[in-house]
Amino acid sequence: MDQSNLSNQKLKKIEKKLRKLQHIVLKETGVECSINKPTNILVIANAGLINGLTEETVLEHFSIYGTIETILLIPGKSCCFIRYSDELSAIKASENHNGTLNIAQNSKPIYLLYATSLPNNEDDAINEETVPGLVIFEDFITLEEEQKLLDLCDFESNSDVSHMKNRQVKHFGYEFNYNTNNVDKNQPLTEGIPEECNFWNRLDNTAFKSFIPDQLTVNHYLPGQGIPQHVDTHSAFEDPIMTLSLRNPIVMEFKNSYKHVSVLLKPRSLAVMSGECRYNWTHGITPRKCDMVHTKTGDVSFQRDTRVSYTFRKVLRKPCECMFKTNCDSFKESIEKLRSNAPELEKEHVHKVYEKIAGHFDSTRHKPWPNVVEFLESFETGSIVVDVGCGNGKYLGLNKGVFNVGCDASLNLLDICNKKGLEIFAANCLKIPIKDNCVDGAISIAVIHHLANDERRFSALEEIARILKPGGRALVYVWAKEQEKDQEKSSYLKQYRNNKTPQAAGEASVSNLPIHVNRTQFEYEDLLVPWKLKRSNESNKSNEPNTFLRFYHVFHEDELKELCEDIENIEVIKYYYDQGNWCSIIRKY
Amino acid sequence: MKLLTHNMLTSKCIKGVSVGYPLKINASDVKETEIDFNPEFVSKMIPKLDWPVLYEAADSLGKVGDLPKNIIENFENDEDFLKKVHHIMLEVEIVNGNLICPETGRKFPINNGIPNMLLNEDEI
Repeated sequence: MDQSNLSNQKLKKIEKKLRKLQHIVLKETGVECSINKPTNILVIANAGLINGLTEETVLEHFSIYGTIETILLIPGKSCCFIRYSDELSAIKASENHNGTLNIAQNSKPIYLLYATSLPNNEDDAINEETVPGLVIFEDFITLEEEQKLLDLCDFESNSDVSHMKNRQVKHFGYEFNYNTNNVDKNQPLTEGIPEECNFWNRLDNTAFKSFIPDQLTVNHYLPGQGIPQHVDTHSAFEDPIMTLSLRNPIVMEFKNSYKHVSVLLKPRSLAVMSGECRYNWTHGITPRKCDMVHTKTGDVSFQRDTRVSYTFRKVLRKPCECMFKTNCDSFKESIEKLRSNAPELEKEHVHKVYEKIAGHFDSTRHKPWPNVVEFLESFETGSIVVDVGCGNGKYLGLNKGVFNVGCDASLNLLDICNKKGLEIFAANCLKIPIKDNCVDGAISIAVIHHLANDERRFSALEEIARILKPGGRALVYVWAKEQEKDQEKSSYLKQYRNNKTPQAAGEASVSNLPIHVNRTQFEYEDLLVPWKLKRSNESNKSNEPNTFLRFYHVFHEDELKELCEDIENIEVIKYYYDQGNWCSIIRKY
Repeated sequence: MKLLTHNMLTSKCIKGVSVGYPLKINASDVKETEIDFNPEFVSKMIPKLDWPVLYEAADSLGKVGDLPKNIIENFENDEDFLKKVHHIMLEVEIVNGNLICPETGRKFPINNGIPNMLLNEDEI
């Protein structure tokens, strides 16, 4: 509908609306807009990506008025910028659609303003930021070589290519399975990587000089097509991954939890993704028909045209051993293995370690924690109180009126207790050899976090509950994942010394668990914590390793409480945080 | 290991064992120590004890002396009785020997006063 047919009253209404929207667009995008000073950039001020507006709809209604250079739909915004090659086209479009074209949300009319410029969009534009581990070699191949590669895969003829939702692909060497996001490593394709791709000696003077790929995926993107953000499966391929861009440029988006960097991939350039970029950043191509590049001289937008990419990878023949565990499927698998492997892991990384470090451990564990002492002192004369996992016995015999007996799985630690004249026996906290309903109290300080899966941690708590008499109370301490609470660092963190270099593991690990750097925040829940052994002089002569790795599961805020609450006949009567530990007092009823 | 500890221990944690109590004692080395006598502690402890098991344990070690076979009435006020119980449950200690599961015969060694109640993987 043409605006000239509108009544004065209607026009006034539109103008009022536009004045309001002017402010909103300025606030949302930082772009100054005008109602009646024409430019070549139109803004649909009340509809955008979040209202379901698409590039296709915009093209359908706006391309008839002239050449559109850019359509900019900004994620999370309710406006859309349309840049024509000339002002007249913009004026014609505005005259025909302002306040009358019903493509806004719920088929409401759109309102159009003139913009002085395109928004300087941080999220969507190429900027100075770099992606760690991403290296781009421009003009890696010549125009002739590019043509040869393009001739290798004829996507137009449609033979032996797979049609993905948003692109076409062809594989060499190994088929990439998009269901498993992996390759079948035992089923190589008859067609290996074509000879024409043997240009790897060009990387001889770089960090990637020994790269010989054995898998190639060729992707063919038409304008408007793309590939969702993804990390190449860690266990599928080695580091690095290389992508050669052919025919036309495209903008690739790289994202991690905090950042979004858009990178222009020019034709004939080789993008090398390694390290953090390969393992911890997603990459993808937004399906759209225009890209915008933010350069030093200003924003440049371009229409996309057919782009072909050759992505070269080397199939990984063993589990991934990267440092970037968050996105690592091999790491996740090893965590799953913990469930079945828990007894072995505890034996290797808890029991054996305590036997070796018992003496040194004892010399570092003197001071009882005040809240534990307070709990022990709350028992009346003649009570029986068991310490499950008593270690060097620092909590045994503090309350002279109670019968205190300790148990531990480490015979060397028990010898130390024995020399102190303490009453003890050897037992695993999962199988406490005490009768049901037998004791008035129990403590288990810094023990249950050494159990390698949830079921075992729960069983240990059930064992404690089992031996308690009705009315009996137990105190459980476990290490907290949160080593800082209410802006206060735990004493564990406070003792961090800057001059300390992280200790490399002294012993081969039975697992693929991350090794923690002592006195730092926990990054993982299940981890190995190094213990650096100080040997007494006489035993110093041995060539045994000095660093031992103890397994820990560090508990998040409510985890211990939730476990305790699941035990039959148990109530949690107090739950608190004490110097980097989650602590629970339970009572049997 | 004190007989008070023995009074609480069971081998029920072994797979297939239903009660596992009391554990039989086979002692090769027993010692007697001196512990401060606290009549209130002993009086409060007596009702918590499995008396026949304590008596039997003391008897098997030849340490029962003239300890009555049953708990006497008004023991709280009988210092002589309390002292006997104090001695049996706290001062008699098994240094070396075995504890034996009454159902399976599994031996738990006591070395240097420490009973080893740890189980093997196939017992749990």
